[in-house]
Amino acid sequence: MKLYCLSGHPTLPCNVLKFKSTTIMLDCGLDTTAALYFLPLPLVHSPRLSKLPGWVSKDGAINLEKKELLDLSTIDVILISNYHCMMALPYITEHTGFTGTVYATEPTLQIGRLLMEELVTFMERVPKAQAATCWKNKEIQRLLPGPLKDAVDVWSWRKCYSVQEVNSALSKVQLVGYSQKVELFGAVQVTPLSSGYSLGSSNWIIQSHYEKVSYVSGSSLLTTHPQPMEQSSLKNSDVLILTGLTQIPTANPDGMLGEFCSNLSMTIRAGGNVLVPCYSSGVIYDLLECLYQFMDSANLGSTPFYFISPVANSSLEFSQIFAEWLCQNKQSKVYLPEPPFPHAELIQTNKLKHYPSIHGDFSSEFRQPCVVFTGHPSLRFGDVVHFMELWGKSSLNTIIFTEPDFSYLDALAPYQPLAMKCVYCPIDTRLNFHQVSKLLKDIQPLHVVCPEPYTQPPPAQPHRSDLMLELQPPPMSYRRCSVLGLPFRRRYERIHLLPELARSLVPSEIKAGVSVATVSAVLQSKDNKHVLQPVPKPAPVPPSKKRKRVMEEPPEVLNPKPLLSGAVPLEPFLATLHKNGITEVKVEETADGHILHLQTEDVLIQLEEDATHIICDNNEPLRTALRDLVLRFLQKL
Amino acid sequence: MDSDCLSLLPAVCLVLADPKQSPPDDTSLEKLLDWFKELHIQSNGQVLLQHQPCLLEFISSVCTSKTTDPAIISFTLKFTGLLAATKQGFNLLEEGDLLLCAFEREACYVCDLWEDASVRSGWLQGLLNMLKHQNALDFICGNGLIKVVLQLQNDRSLFVASLANQLLVHILNFLTSLNMTNGSDAVGSSVSSLRSDWVSVSSEIMNAVVEALRSEDHPRVLLGLRLLSLVLSQCGEPIRSTLWKDVLVPLEVLINRGSESLTQTLMTVLQAAVRTSLLGQSEYKVEELLEAMLGDGNRKGVFSFSLSLSFSPEISKRKATGIILLPLQCVSTQPQTEVETNLVLNEQLSQKALCISLLMQSLSSLAELAHTKYLFEDISIHSITSSVVLLLRMCSGHYPSSLLHINASIHLIGCCKVQRCGLDTLGALSFYEENVDLRKDIFDVLLDFLQSPDSHATVLKKTFQATVRWIAVCSPFPDLLQFISHDLFPVLEKRMWDLRWEVRDSTLEFITQLTAALNGNSGFTEALHTSGMVSVLLSSLADTEGYVRASAVAAVGEAVTASFHQATLERNSNLLEKALTQMMIVLSQDTEVFPRRAVVKAFTSWLKGSHPLTALDSSLSSVLSLGGNDFDWEVKMHTLELAEVLMEKTLTCCPYMQNVDFSEKTCLTQALSRLKDFGLFDLLFNSLFDCDRPVCEKACALLVRLRTLTAETADLDHSALVLNVCGNRWGDEVQRRYLKKQQAKASVCATDGATGSDERTDSELHCIKDISLPTILQILDLNDMQRMLMLSSDHVVNSPQSLMEDILSAAQQSEENIVDCY
Repeated sequence: MKLYCLSGHPTLPCNVLKFKSTTIMLDCGLDTTAALYFLPLPLVHSPRLSKLPGWVSKDGAINLEKKELLDLSTIDVILISNYHCMMALPYITEHTGFTGTVYATEPTLQIGRLLMEELVTFMERVPKAQAATCWKNKEIQRLLPGPLKDAVDVWSWRKCYSVQEVNSALSKVQLVGYSQKVELFGAVQVTPLSSGYSLGSSNWIIQSHYEKVSYVSGSSLLTTHPQPMEQSSLKNSDVLILTGLTQIPTANPDGMLGEFCSNLSMTIRAGGNVLVPCYSSGVIYDLLECLYQFMDSANLGSTPFYFISPVANSSLEFSQIFAEWLCQNKQSKVYLPEPPFPHAELIQTNKLKHYPSIHGDFSSEFRQPCVVFTGHPSLRFGDVVHFMELWGKSSLNTIIFTEPDFSYLDALAPYQPLAMKCVYCPIDTRLNFHQVSKLLKDIQPLHVVCPEPYTQPPPAQPHRSDLMLELQPPPMSYRRCSVLGLPFRRRYERIHLLPELARSLVPSEIKAGVSVATVSAVLQSKDNKHVLQPVPKPAPVPPSKKRKRVMEEPPEVLNPKPLLSGAVPLEPFLATLHKNGITEVKVEETADGHILHLQTEDVLIQLEEDATHIICDNNEPLRTALRDLVLRFLQKL
Repeated sequence: MDSDCLSLLPAVCLVLADPKQSPPDDTSLEKLLDWFKELHIQSNGQVLLQHQPCLLEFISSVCTSKTTDPAIISFTLKFTGLLAATKQGFNLLEEGDLLLCAFEREACYVCDLWEDASVRSGWLQGLLNMLKHQNALDFICGNGLIKVVLQLQNDRSLFVASLANQLLVHILNFLTSLNMTNGSDAVGSSVSSLRSDWVSVSSEIMNAVVEALRSEDHPRVLLGLRLLSLVLSQCGEPIRSTLWKDVLVPLEVLINRGSESLTQTLMTVLQAAVRTSLLGQSEYKVEELLEAMLGDGNRKGVFSFSLSLSFSPEISKRKATGIILLPLQCVSTQPQTEVETNLVLNEQLSQKALCISLLMQSLSSLAELAHTKYLFEDISIHSITSSVVLLLRMCSGHYPSSLLHINASIHLIGCCKVQRCGLDTLGALSFYEENVDLRKDIFDVLLDFLQSPDSHATVLKKTFQATVRWIAVCSPFPDLLQFISHDLFPVLEKRMWDLRWEVRDSTLEFITQLTAALNGNSGFTEALHTSGMVSVLLSSLADTEGYVRASAVAAVGEAVTASFHQATLERNSNLLEKALTQMMIVLSQDTEVFPRRAVVKAFTSWLKGSHPLTALDSSLSSVLSLGGNDFDWEVKMHTLELAEVLMEKTLTCCPYMQNVDFSEKTCLTQALSRLKDFGLFDLLFNSLFDCDRPVCEKACALLVRLRTLTAETADLDHSALVLNVCGNRWGDEVQRRYLKKQQAKASVCATDGATGSDERTDSELHCIKDISLPTILQILDLNDMQRMLMLSSDHVVNSPQSLMEDILSAAQQSEENIVDCY
């Protein structure tokens, strides 16, 4: 069993597990932090941004040498754990020869599609005249200015995929429900379990009859909108692959939410606007719900919220229809019937308005002070770029970062100098180290595999030994491009007996509760299932002169010789020999047993623990007689 | 005893003595006993017994009956003891053989009654009650009851055992006091100078203690130690030293054995010993035992002990404080110091639960020491304070890498308990003036806690408390204002919008305290206004949580008070205006009581202030009328307090009087008419007939004061103080009383022969609308009302008479109930 680690990013994992005869890809997250190397893509021409020092490649495209750890076309299935971890799907399923199936829950598919479409729209809205790849050549990159020459793995940077590719990739998705058992080629069974992180997010169990691998990715124990995490099914795992812990272990989501609300309130009260760069699904639902309660209590009821994204409408509406994937509290609302999320009420009362982009209706209805939720959190593309240009100059305004994926200082770099206040409230509801060590204590996996960063304290806080995994045995860590041999051997395989074969068996009890029988059968292996069938009787062959000679020596199906078990006890054996007239026996003790020297007959009998030898020269009758005497003491099967 | 009770007593005695009756509940019996005790103190036991032969009969019937309920027996024993507490009572009981009958050893064991713990405790309590004179002691000693008491010391019931201990101590004490008063040999007093039979008693008790300490039986040792500490703390010489000499050897053995379970009790004993004259006398070895006890400071519970020791200057307090500081130093200092050698402590600190509890004990002991401004000898207060600051930093995850060796740090990150304790201690350390040098570090760490989004609400509360203390101490330093306006105010502003109402509430409370603490500091008031904090405070008046609104009202009130001290009243009048408008809205519309109460309190404090506030005048009458008509009795009480202050201010100094030429009379008339304009009299009279007793009481007291004042000033201009009595509740009542009085006067006139005026008066009275204030005050029988109001509302049901009636009726009812059952 092997694990190929294609991504070293702990929260955007991409691992391939070879287990029995299957090749399973676990998640395919897309690391977009490389976007920070680029200048923002403004929706409206910005003289300031266009004057920023930058470097534009004018070279044409080259075919980069492919470096692959693994042939992607050999992948049988891809298991997706949540919508953030599937953003690279088109890169894997398209143009690689991939012919397998992708398994994901319905909300994961739908919201994942929204996020991909949003990304594509963001990119295609601001088309670039040309593309260049020559500079990615190591020799050229070395000569590039500034941070660009220090960027690593630029060869892996890709152009954004297209809508067609998204559609084609998503058409390979097969939907699954929580706890649904999916057979893969009869070899393994995979099951998604609720992970509590986002709508439809799942952990996966990959098991055969005798082995169980759990894949934990992006799980949360906090009470937010999704269904709570299912823990008990993760018990008794041989290997647990642990990814997707919180990226900001020092920030407690509750505290950050409080910080978010008080900063928002302070800004609005002072007459400023609040900009929240965020993804269009996920934490935003919780933020809206929290604000729904908070704004009234803080007497900010009349402040408008704007949610601007090409998929804003779908995101808000999709969230309301996935009732079965929500926490109990929200599920029960549906039966009243009420919309599970309070943002429906915000929309009804016109407090929350959503627009596909800043163009169109938004520009006429826009009122300040206000709160704007918009993407992309990297501040490099999407409508957020416009608001940064618009509001950045006033110290009354505040930008509040809630997504932990990007360094907020790097994200802000092209907008400096910035007068607007900047608050960093990363809200990451995924498991923290404290929760995970409790969880692991509870589910007791034999081995834990995790990304390398989890095995040491954060580099910025080397003294925080509480912010790492400390386990016994220590976890196996991986980094990008590692190939791990998972530390357990497959020892058993399940084989079925056909009933008629079973009927013919004659078990004999060799000790209490254990019976043994010999089987003669034909093993048939098909679709990773193994069946023992009775040996087919030789078909009566029509007499044929040609084959006569062959028939004379038919492939005789001999009954196998019986198997012997038991031990030959020395004293009774000597007594039996005596009874049979062999009296002169010299017994010699050896390390393994005894040697009996029958002096008159000049025969040696070696009695050992697992063998008995009768050595007598050219006296076949005597040997047979002695053999029969020995056999009297042994059981036959 | 009043006659009603006297007539009920025999019947009650019969009911109680009747074995067929189920006994009344414990509380009734206790109340009855309390009443007897009171009677006993008031009168003389003899009188009670002599006039109430039924009591003797009761005792004798209960003691001879074999089927009486244990509760009644217990009551009787206590009661008998009470009666026997005087010599006369004792003799009377003795004559009837009742004492022996009740307390005789053999009598006690009759039936299985003795098995009941309440009977044993009653027996002991009875003896304890009785033990007020020599005869009683003779009775106890003569009948060999001491043995029983010593046995009861090991009783399985904790109450009985502790009562037995008390009785023993009482007996010992009594022996010494008798000896002293007899004065036979007061100066050279020793046990041997006691009467011989008493000597045997005291030695019997002391031997019992020594034996208990030598025993291998753990509970017995504990009992012995408890009795020993009682004797040490309650008995005088020579008993104390005699006993100490006897127990010294077994005590030493116990201490050196170092049993964890005995530590606490042994420490109590030593603590008791430290406070006596035994300390300092080398033959008594108290110091040696202390040293042994403190050991290396690893024993559990040694902290509280160390703490108590550090207050007694004579003994090894250095060691004690060392123990207190040890865990703190161990966590927050470099390993090269000697503390490193303390492996046991390090081991304890690496376990989470132990680490937290050790540090908390260390911190809270330190805080207690700091409250007394204890002088540390070996270590500077600076280094202690720095340690606490460092510990607090560790709690929020920052600490220097030089301390990485300490395992404890992992347990501390985010630990609310240690944070709270540490902040308390840090606050307490502000008592040391020399610490102001560290104010930068201290304010830094406090600010860290205030800023951290993860700070728990309770931690923030503690941080606020500590900050107020430090700000108060550092107020003379110029850099403080910088800290407040640049660092503190922005954080506070954010905290005012916290999601948790508790945090918003404590922030507002903090601002109130801060403003009060820096009252008169013009720089601070300036900062408060310029930083926009005031407008945030005003908007907090509309918070969704009632408690927060109440705190906001208080904070605004304090901010307004602070602004009075500023010459720039012009600017602040704006604040006062806004505050008044919003507060009146709160008072009239708020659905919760706390904000309304706070508003009235704010007005009271403004009025109490030294600055006359003409701006308040317009609102005062509305406050009085709104507050007086509130549904909440506390709002009404606060309104009456406001009225009281208003009365004091108006009537004593008459601050609004411009012309000093007016006579005192005119002055008073004017002041009263001002009060009338405020609607104060309406408030007082309305409150007088309020449904809440405390409100009536307060109003009555104020009216009595007014009456005295008007009565003192002759020839008051009544016409200026005419009140309209029509159409309100109090007016009707006053009219009724006025009418009654006039009629009585008229009838007196009629008998005197002056006829013919009846009808005229009547008709006049019916349409009377205006009565002058002094007249109303005369009409109302305020003294009588006040007397009635003083009695608590349960004074009727609480009387002994009602108690006895209850007992009787319960007995009757139970019969009825039995009948009903069939």
